[in-house]
Amino acid sequence: MAVKIDVDAAGEETLIRVEGDVDLYTSPELRKAVLKAVPKAVSAVGVDLGGVTYMDSSGVATLVEGLRSANEHGKTFALVAPSSSVMKVLELARLDSVFEVRSAS
Amino acid sequence: MTVRTGDLRLRISSDPRLLAVARGVLQTWMEILGLEVDRRSEVVLAVDEACANAIRHAYRGREDGVVEMVLGLTPEWIEIIVSDEGTPCPEECSEFKPIERPEDHELVPGGLGVKLIHEVFDEVRFCPGTSRGNCVTMRLRRRGEGGNGSED
Repeated sequence: MAVKIDVDAAGEETLIRVEGDVDLYTSPELRKAVLKAVPKAVSAVGVDLGGVTYMDSSGVATLVEGLRSANEHGKTFALVAPSSSVMKVLELARLDSVFEVRSAS
Repeated sequence: MTVRTGDLRLRISSDPRLLAVARGVLQTWMEILGLEVDRRSEVVLAVDEACANAIRHAYRGREDGVVEMVLGLTPEWIEIIVSDEGTPCPEECSEFKPIERPEDHELVPGGLGVKLIHEVFDEVRFCPGTSRGNCVTMRLRRRGEGGNGSED
C-alpha cells in the first residue's frame, strides 16, 4: 500500500496532492513533503486529501506539524476535500475543527 | 490451544510495511462477520494503532520482532488481542486519557494512538510491563450483526 504525493508549487497556494494509505510506513514521506513545501510556499499551503484511502494517527500528527510550521512561517494551511477516512480519524481525534477544511477548488 | 468458530490469528514481523496486510485481514474478517461499515473503519484504525505502537515503542524500529493479532468472537463480544515480545512500555503509556479538542497552543503531534483505542472500543485492558512484552485486549460489544447471538 503505497502513498503517492504530488506537489504543485506554481501558484499562490502550493498544493500537495496525496493518494493512497497514510500510515506508520508512509507518513514520513508526507511529513518530508509538507515540511519542505511550507517554507517555500508563496502564501498558502493546501493538502488535497481526496484520494486518501486510510489515515492513522501518524498521518494526523503530520498534518498537525504542517499546520504548526505554516503558522510559524506566516502561511495559511488548509485541508482540501478530505476523504471520509480522513474526516473520520480527525473527528475521533477531536481535531476536525482545528483545521481549515475546504472542498476542491 | 482451543479455537472457537471464527477465530483468526495473524503473526507479522514488526515491519511497518506489513501493517497494511494486518488491516486488510482485519477488514475482510469483519466483512465476513457483517459488522457495519462505520464501525469497521473505526476498529481497523484502533487495531492498526495498537500494532503501530508495538512497532514504534516496543521494538523501536527493529523490524524482526513479532507482532501478533488475535481476532475472536464470543456471543457478546468481538475480542481483539494485540501482543508483542518487545521492550515493556511504561504504565503511563497505556493510561486512559479522554480526547478533548486542544487549544491552539496545545497542539502537539503524537500521543493519539492509545486515545483512539479507548475511543473506539468498549473495553480496553493493557497488560504491559512483563519481561515477555506487551499485550492489549480490546473488546467491542456485538450489536446484532449477522443476526447471530446478540441481544438486540
